[in-house]
Amino acid sequence: MADLGRAALVVTLGLAVYSLVVGGIAARRNERRLAASARNALYCSFASTLVAAAVLATALVRHDFSFKYVAAHTNRHLPVAYTLSAFWGGQEGSLLLWLLVLTGYGALAVAINRGLLRDLTAWVVPVIGGIATFFSFVLVAVASPFDTQTAPFDGAGLTPSLQNPYMVAHPPMLYLGYVGLSVPFAFAVGALLSGRTDERWIIATRRWTLAAWMFLGFGQLLGAHWAYVEVGWGGYYAWDPVENAALMPWLAATAFLHSVMVQERKGMLKVWNMVLVALAFELSVFGTFLTRSGVVNSIHSFSKSSIGPWFLAFVVISSIFSLALIMWRLPLLKAKTKLESAISREAAFLYNNLLLVALCLTILWGVLFPIVTQLLRGETRTIGRPYYDFFLRTFGLPLLLLMGIGPLVAWRKTSLRGLLRTLAWPITAAVATGIVLVAVGGGSSSPGLIAYTFSAFVLATIVVELVRGTRATGSLFVLVARNRRRYGGYVVHAAIVLLAIGIAGSSAYSSSVERRLALGQSMSVAGYTLTNRGVTVDAKPNVTETRAHLAVKGRWSGSISSGDNQYVNPPEPSREVGIKTDWLRGEDLYVIVDESHPKTGIVFVQVLVKPLINLIWVAGIVFLFGSMIALWPDAREQRRLVARLAPIASS
Amino acid sequence: MIIVGILLAAAAVVVLVALPFLREPVAADDRLDAPSEADERRFTLVEERDRALTALKELEFDHRTGKVDDADYRELVGPLRQAAAVALRALDSPQE
Amino acid sequence: MPTRSPARLVVALAVAGVLAIFLLYTAVAGHSTPTLTPSEMQGKSGKLQVVGTVVGKLRGDSHSASGLRFQLADPQGHGGKRVDVVYHGAAPPPLFRVGRSVVVTGTYAHERLQGTDIVTKCPSKYTSTAS
Repeated sequence: MADLGRAALVVTLGLAVYSLVVGGIAARRNERRLAASARNALYCSFASTLVAAAVLATALVRHDFSFKYVAAHTNRHLPVAYTLSAFWGGQEGSLLLWLLVLTGYGALAVAINRGLLRDLTAWVVPVIGGIATFFSFVLVAVASPFDTQTAPFDGAGLTPSLQNPYMVAHPPMLYLGYVGLSVPFAFAVGALLSGRTDERWIIATRRWTLAAWMFLGFGQLLGAHWAYVEVGWGGYYAWDPVENAALMPWLAATAFLHSVMVQERKGMLKVWNMVLVALAFELSVFGTFLTRSGVVNSIHSFSKSSIGPWFLAFVVISSIFSLALIMWRLPLLKAKTKLESAISREAAFLYNNLLLVALCLTILWGVLFPIVTQLLRGETRTIGRPYYDFFLRTFGLPLLLLMGIGPLVAWRKTSLRGLLRTLAWPITAAVATGIVLVAVGGGSSSPGLIAYTFSAFVLATIVVELVRGTRATGSLFVLVARNRRRYGGYVVHAAIVLLAIGIAGSSAYSSSVERRLALGQSMSVAGYTLTNRGVTVDAKPNVTETRAHLAVKGRWSGSISSGDNQYVNPPEPSREVGIKTDWLRGEDLYVIVDESHPKTGIVFVQVLVKPLINLIWVAGIVFLFGSMIALWPDAREQRRLVARLAPIASS
Repeated sequence: MIIVGILLAAAAVVVLVALPFLREPVAADDRLDAPSEADERRFTLVEERDRALTALKELEFDHRTGKVDDADYRELVGPLRQAAAVALRALDSPQE
Repeated sequence: MPTRSPARLVVALAVAGVLAIFLLYTAVAGHSTPTLTPSEMQGKSGKLQVVGTVVGKLRGDSHSASGLRFQLADPQGHGGKRVDVVYHGAAPPPLFRVGRSVVVTGTYAHERLQGTDIVTKCPSKYTSTAS
């Protein structure tokens, strides 16, 4: 069985090389049949990768421990869902998932566009083929999921803290995002190679980019939620390199989603868009390199893996290639119009891009800093949390404000007078919110207060837009249906605002108290009083659960418990925190018992109260909803594209 | 049994990859249907027309909803109407 | 009369502004901590992070006055240099045990690290199964 899997991957490698080499020759020489042949090779590479994936999945379900991979990541006791999710739980399997999504996406994108954009698509095939060549090579020669051994009786199993539904969904979501970014990248390179540098590559890949961005964003929130409930330090984001590895390409993709609108409307920023899409793609592969190579200290990776140098080489080579291509085609990327006013929609998008890329590069610098200092000074220095928090505030707060101003500014230019007139109501709402907040004590944190007032401002602008639009069209539904991109975007903006409020509330206005409590002793935190009611030890077949129980009185009354689990198979511990969510207030009472003594009943406990944190998770749902609206296929839009290109295609 | 399956699959892959040449051993026109220069010029003009019309439509909508006030509208609409007219004219008049 | 677009100036100023903020902050605030393995600790002092494997017996309690005491060795096992750690604070994460890779943050003086924070690494998911 493992032989079949290995063979399938070798076939994929061969087909990928074929589509790269032959596809490149066909595009260069303008040969139709050869190009079609290369295309078919790409389709077949998906099929053979699917076979390899099926082999691994079958081995997992059958508990075939002769597969080293299956033995390393599962055991007989593991529930089926986690046995299957072990597919992407380790190095080799996750690379196979990457390759599967890549060939699948690539084949689909090429198939859809081969009729309308023939010469461009002819170049997309070798680009996807090239990326697939790299990944299939790594899977065949460096990290194969199909290495075998004499089968042990049972496997190693999965760390209990990873046996969580969020951890099942988090990696595939992220991969749909990471790999999804290779489609617009491939089309961009195809546009450069074919000389078709106008907007057609952007229009063809718009939904791909949006979908990838949506998955990447939602995937990160899933991971953050897991960290919050399972890892249990009271936070959800630690600025760990592996977390940043997903955030950076997402920020670059966000910038790209905005700046393509400028290119579509005004024919400007062509070079910038090329650079951005390449940056997003390279960051997503680079992120993979960071996660797996052990080159940077992270809670996730430690030992140096053999795969690192290969990924690094790929990122370096593809970056140089992209840059060289852009420079070669610079004459074709001249802007059609100029920026005329500093107060215009174009300018607003430019500021938005500037802030997003600045934040992205700042994070990149923080991630690379240990490597840079090691190379230059021989000493590794790590940048801590305060750095990231500072720049998140410095760039994030103006971005928040811009989310409100941008939609209300017209293209080409808006007079200052006109701008202030439109913003009058939202500004009033923001100032009123600010005053109310200071009155209830929100002034304790300046960044928090600013975030809240800016959020009120943005929400007011969205309401204004919706009200105005509904009045003009007569129906909210018709309004949104006719302008899915714009109003879907507004819903996403609302999600980001909710995110900002949630982040601000749970960090700027949270409370934390650490105490040693004897049996019967109490403590108070932010309006709650907790009393130690003792420690229980519950021995179950596979796990011994030690819990400290605390009685709570205050805005909510009841009992909350927290402690540790000690598992039998695998013999791993996990910390279990106690979380009580007050949905009305959106706040969490978060209890971490880090040490408890069953005999004496003494516990060491940290209690946190995190206001508005649940808005972060709500934001995730709203984010999905808004993205779906923007993604929704628009028959009119498709007809317009066909009308533009069809006369050319049918000739 | 499995070996037969694998051999069949391998054969299928080879056939699929060679298919374009199997279907047309001799092709009258093997050129990739790339747009001609005239087609590309036309495409550019169509794009410009669409861009101008979209901008005009958006300005009208923004004016109707009150986002753009009368003074700003008067200032912006002129050049946009001109650009749309130019684009439409360029598209209608035969270029060759 | 061809006029240069004022907007370009504004954008250029904005870029300069962002760069200035960045450089100013990093110059003034710094906020980087040396991250060392036990064998690199020679001659160092002050606030730093140590990356290593937990060795030796775990003595004491992090909540008590004398703290939790253990030693750190080089991650890869190179060199015999060990660092004495005295850790005060919340009990270390449940994955903390002898043989695990950890990062301890604290102040190093008189050949001893007064630890204030411990981060344990997830048992590595991404080492290849062949190793």
